[in-house]
Amino acid sequence: MASIALKSFVGLRQSTLENPSFTSQSKPISSFPSSPRTFRVLAAKTSPKVAGRNLRVAVIGGGPAGGAAAETLAKGGVETFLIERKMDNCKPCGGAIPLCMVGEFDLPLDIIDRRVTKMKMISPSNVAVDIGQTLKPHEYIGMVRREVLDNYLRNRASENGASVINGLFLKMDSPSQGDGTSPYVLHYTEYDGKAGGVGVKKTLEVDAVIGADGANSRVAKSIDAGDYEYAIAFQERIKIPDDKMVYYENLAEMYVGDDVSPDFYGWVFPKCDHVAVGTGTVTHKGDIKKFQLATRNRAKDKILGGKILRVEAHPIPEHPRPRRLAGRVALVGDAAGYVTKCSGEGIYFAAKSGRMCAEAIVEGSENGKRMINEGDLRNYLEKWDKTYWPTYKVLDILQKVFYRSNPAREAFVEMCADEYVQKMTFDSYLYKRVVPGNPWEDLKLAVNTIGSLVRANALKQEMEKISA
Amino acid sequence: MSISMSLFSPSTHLPTLSPSSSYPKPHFTLKPCLSLRPKTPLFTTRASAENGAGAAAAATAVEAEPKVPEPVAAKSESSNGSAGPAEEEVKVVSLFEDARWVNGTWDLKQFEKSGKTDWDAVIDAEARRRKWLQDNPESSSNDNPILFDTSIVPWWAWVKRYHLPEAELLNGRAAMVGFFSAYLVDSLTGVGLVDQMGNFVCKTLLFVAVAGVLLIRKNEDVEKLKKLLDETTFYDKQWQATWQDETPGNPK
Ligand SMILES: Cc1cc2nc3c(=O)[nH]c(=O)nc-3n(C[C@H](O)[C@H](O)[C@H](O)COP(=O)(O)OP(=O)(O)OC[C@H]3O[C@@H](n4cnc5c(N)ncnc54)[C@H](O)[C@@H]3O)c2cc1C
Repeated sequence: MASIALKSFVGLRQSTLENPSFTSQSKPISSFPSSPRTFRVLAAKTSPKVAGRNLRVAVIGGGPAGGAAAETLAKGGVETFLIERKMDNCKPCGGAIPLCMVGEFDLPLDIIDRRVTKMKMISPSNVAVDIGQTLKPHEYIGMVRREVLDNYLRNRASENGASVINGLFLKMDSPSQGDGTSPYVLHYTEYDGKAGGVGVKKTLEVDAVIGADGANSRVAKSIDAGDYEYAIAFQERIKIPDDKMVYYENLAEMYVGDDVSPDFYGWVFPKCDHVAVGTGTVTHKGDIKKFQLATRNRAKDKILGGKILRVEAHPIPEHPRPRRLAGRVALVGDAAGYVTKCSGEGIYFAAKSGRMCAEAIVEGSENGKRMINEGDLRNYLEKWDKTYWPTYKVLDILQKVFYRSNPAREAFVEMCADEYVQKMTFDSYLYKRVVPGNPWEDLKLAVNTIGSLVRANALKQEMEKISA
Repeated sequence: MSISMSLFSPSTHLPTLSPSSSYPKPHFTLKPCLSLRPKTPLFTTRASAENGAGAAAAATAVEAEPKVPEPVAAKSESSNGSAGPAEEEVKVVSLFEDARWVNGTWDLKQFEKSGKTDWDAVIDAEARRRKWLQDNPESSSNDNPILFDTSIVPWWAWVKRYHLPEAELLNGRAAMVGFFSAYLVDSLTGVGLVDQMGNFVCKTLLFVAVAGVLLIRKNEDVEKLKKLLDETTFYDKQWQATWQDETPGNPK
């Protein structure tokens, strides 16, 4: 097993090394401060058994990434600790999840507040296209409240044997000896709910750590994972009159345009009894409130008379951190940086990466019997990149092409009116798989897309003439 | 009608930058129970009539669609810059109006010239509308959906108007160039995206990415293509970074 994994890993590396631009990059990265790890154990089969107990793994952060990781670890025979600082945390989030997540994570239907079957995409000139026309009767985008989803996943981890600790992770000490078996010592403040805020400082010894503590990850900091570029997302929960809410019953809106965001989209998502109106940007963070106001303005008629219940903002990572693991510590979810461009989707990928990382640990430790090493965790990274990199890449390209300017956005929305585009988009969103297209339809699509882009650009040139 | 249009347009582009700078930020912040309506005071400080976005939201909060005669609009235009126009006026300017724009589309009958539709004029009108909207984003409405679709203008109208070599590029050649460039980009970045996905959508996207660039302006192609290449590979590098320190023999 180990040798196979090692081989394919080498294969991956070789192919990337062939890329000249890649090697030129290697310098700054390898100049990372050396961690205390002085050598790596390369082959898992030589890794020692853990005597008299099972492998101990701490998962920091109880969001979708942490919850999913802890459940898988606990099920796999690993002694699992899940540390979450706030049990009723209500992560600022649109809460849209793809259909496949419901099945793959066996989510009960009652945690899904709404089933969105209509997705309106609205261009800068207010051309609105419903991109959900090709959905089959059983297909939908699920809308969840994060406090509900996160809590559910944590409970399930707990039912499977994980110890869920309400605590704030502070820092960790790397193993004092580089023998590959010394424990990591975690420092955290434990709250018991009753103590009234002031917690108790505690330490915990574990053999490995999964950092699932989100965008401001302290675990990432403690392994020098480096930074990523991030978008700031702003969202208002607005309670709108009942008659207005009818429209958003099973419908979500996405607004594009320079007014709502120079590089992302503005949204109105239905929640349990209100709507979430928000927008995001990487490039003009200082203007986020202006964009939010513009988003609200574009939806004005439909949310008129609404009352703002809550205002929230949070960073969204743009790309993975320069380093996603070190020694026996790995990052997953937002801590690693797994949010897609273009759609800004991260819940599913957080839960998936948590699970995938946990699976690698369970496998490498032979169900908690052996010590693991960096190689085992690399299996997770390798599998992750292989499986999802193309998805991330496609969305990166999409964002670059279509969110670039208003003419491009007009063309994008025009394109989305095409049923074939809708079908492809939804298939890949809902099921996270790419179905081979129909070559003739693809060709037509290509021609139409060019047509749309050309027309939009022609109009842009005309618009420039007006201002000149 | 085109007169009123040109009345609108000259001043529209001038103040586009101002809303962001003159924006009274503190007002908008984390007030838990702020209703959507009482925004009005926020905008009265503004001098120009064109900060459409917010102004429209605030001023028209009550009535769904203010339809006010044009002369008023013209008046507020003339007072541009100086003493802030009254709110009533602000609300007027913020909606796009043109007699040929009927029920969310251009009324093609009004564009007839000797029995044929004057597509050039349609293109002109739409360009003006988009320009206007860029500076004065409007609320989307379910009751008055936008129906106009640029594809109703026949392709030859675009070609005739931009009677350029680009028109030629447009058919076939650009497609070819774009398509192969996509493959080139793909093999250069060494990621085998096209192969990996075996999916035409990706190919199409790559193709669009490149072709889109080609079509914007011919002489800027090279620069743009370079930039695009840099940008695409940048994301790849961000992903690959974590594999860097795995060179064999690295003491780490
Ligand atoms: C406004 C907004 C809208 C979004 N909309 C969507 C959407 O519609 N669909 C979608 O798929 N994605 C969306 N995302 C992205 C999505 O929210 C994230 O990708 C996802 O939450 C990542 O999950 P995670 O488990 O990795 O991290 P998080 O959800 O951030 O969870 C981290 C957890 O760790 C805890 N924690 C942090 N630090 C510590 C510490 N030191 N000690 C203990 N615990 C700690 C936190 O309390 C939190 O519970 C949105 C993001 C934003 C900001």
